[in-house]
Amino acid sequence: MKITVNGDIRDVDVEADMPLLWVLRDELGLKGTKYGCGIAQCGACTVHMDGLAVRSCQVTAASADGAEIVTIEGLGTPAAMHAVQEAWVEEQVAQCGYCQSGQIMQAAAMLDLNPEPSDSDIDAVMSGNLCRCGTYPRIRAAIKSAATKLQEA
Amino acid sequence: MSYHNPTDLPSALELIAQGDGKVVAGGTDVYPSAQPGSAPDFYLDVTRIAGLSGISEEADGHIRIGAATTWSALVAAPLPPAFDALKHAALEVGSVQIQNAGTIAGNLCNASPAADGVPPLLILDAQVELASAARGYRLLPLAEFIKGVRLTGLAPDELVTGILVPPQPYPVGTAFEKLGSRRYLVISITMVAALIGLDARGHIAEARVAVGAASPVAQRLVGLERRLLGTNPAKLVIGGGDLARLSPIDDVRGPADYRLEAVAEQCARAIRRAARIDRAAHE
Repeated sequence: MKITVNGDIRDVDVEADMPLLWVLRDELGLKGTKYGCGIAQCGACTVHMDGLAVRSCQVTAASADGAEIVTIEGLGTPAAMHAVQEAWVEEQVAQCGYCQSGQIMQAAAMLDLNPEPSDSDIDAVMSGNLCRCGTYPRIRAAIKSAATKLQEA
Repeated sequence: MSYHNPTDLPSALELIAQGDGKVVAGGTDVYPSAQPGSAPDFYLDVTRIAGLSGISEEADGHIRIGAATTWSALVAAPLPPAFDALKHAALEVGSVQIQNAGTIAGNLCNASPAADGVPPLLILDAQVELASAARGYRLLPLAEFIKGVRLTGLAPDELVTGILVPPQPYPVGTAFEKLGSRRYLVISITMVAALIGLDARGHIAEARVAVGAASPVAQRLVGLERRLLGTNPAKLVIGGGDLARLSPIDDVRGPADYRLEAVAEQCARAIRRAARIDRAAHE
């Protein structure tokens, strides 16, 4: 199978029904995408597939064959962060940090579609990403700040 | 385990006729319910089949929703107001990640009594288009397609190819009400979809009301629909007799009597919103 990950075409030889999450983490060594629940409940494993946020624990390798995947590693780098990543650092969103790569990927996908989200837009879209530390107020603040950055850019 | 993702319908129909395969689209119901050690002979992924995704208008005015159309694609599509309830339901299916992957026909084929897509399609008189290599195409009204809990009228060698919604006779409004134990990411305790058309005096001339998660299969309340005709929606009262067809269960999400009480209020709210007389209810 050939999967484009963060711009590079990667050849992977795995079982057809292996979750994309394991392809990314175990086959390609991209550990930024997290395993939270494995049953489509928590959003920690969120990545972009052909531009849309999906849960990589529920996408098989075969269905990702030929698709373009972006993970947290490809969204931005420490030297050139995505606006959402920058805002995450500035607002000090993370507490334990486990859910944040999924949160950031979902937030970035939302801002692509809705550059000026209201509080209720944010609550609705981000409802698929759980944070057990309860950092939701900071998540909302960071998304608003990222939206402003992207508008000004 | 083999996993097929054909790009044309004839190949897909040939594959599904070959044995005990599991059809998968977004996988949002298939994978979470998969049990270790009991895999199907093969998975048949229908999302790459040409013509199976997307929404179009047919020459006769029917709106055709491709089987593998995702909830997100439905929400983004320009559609008449009759589809407002369906779009609202689409936004209540799981989270955005689920709406980006899950498909409308998948929701129907999964045949959960709490499937959010079913009541809004019942009030549109939707038909399900099925195809097989041996017998070609056939259409089933949605109410006949879903036969029971996790049970559909799909033959072992058939695939759902689309959902057809007939044109509505005159302007109608629709609304969807979902009750869950919290605001987001919930399986419905009960839900109601309503379609209302008003005459020149503002009285109800067309009424369709469907209830989900209050019987093994979501259903239309035809007695209530008849009773509503000619009435003023502002003076609406829903009584116990209107809900006599329902048979909700007691379960972890709520007891039966609570469900019935909730459905009565949801019917009233959905009908008022569909009749556009409850402006505050539009969020």
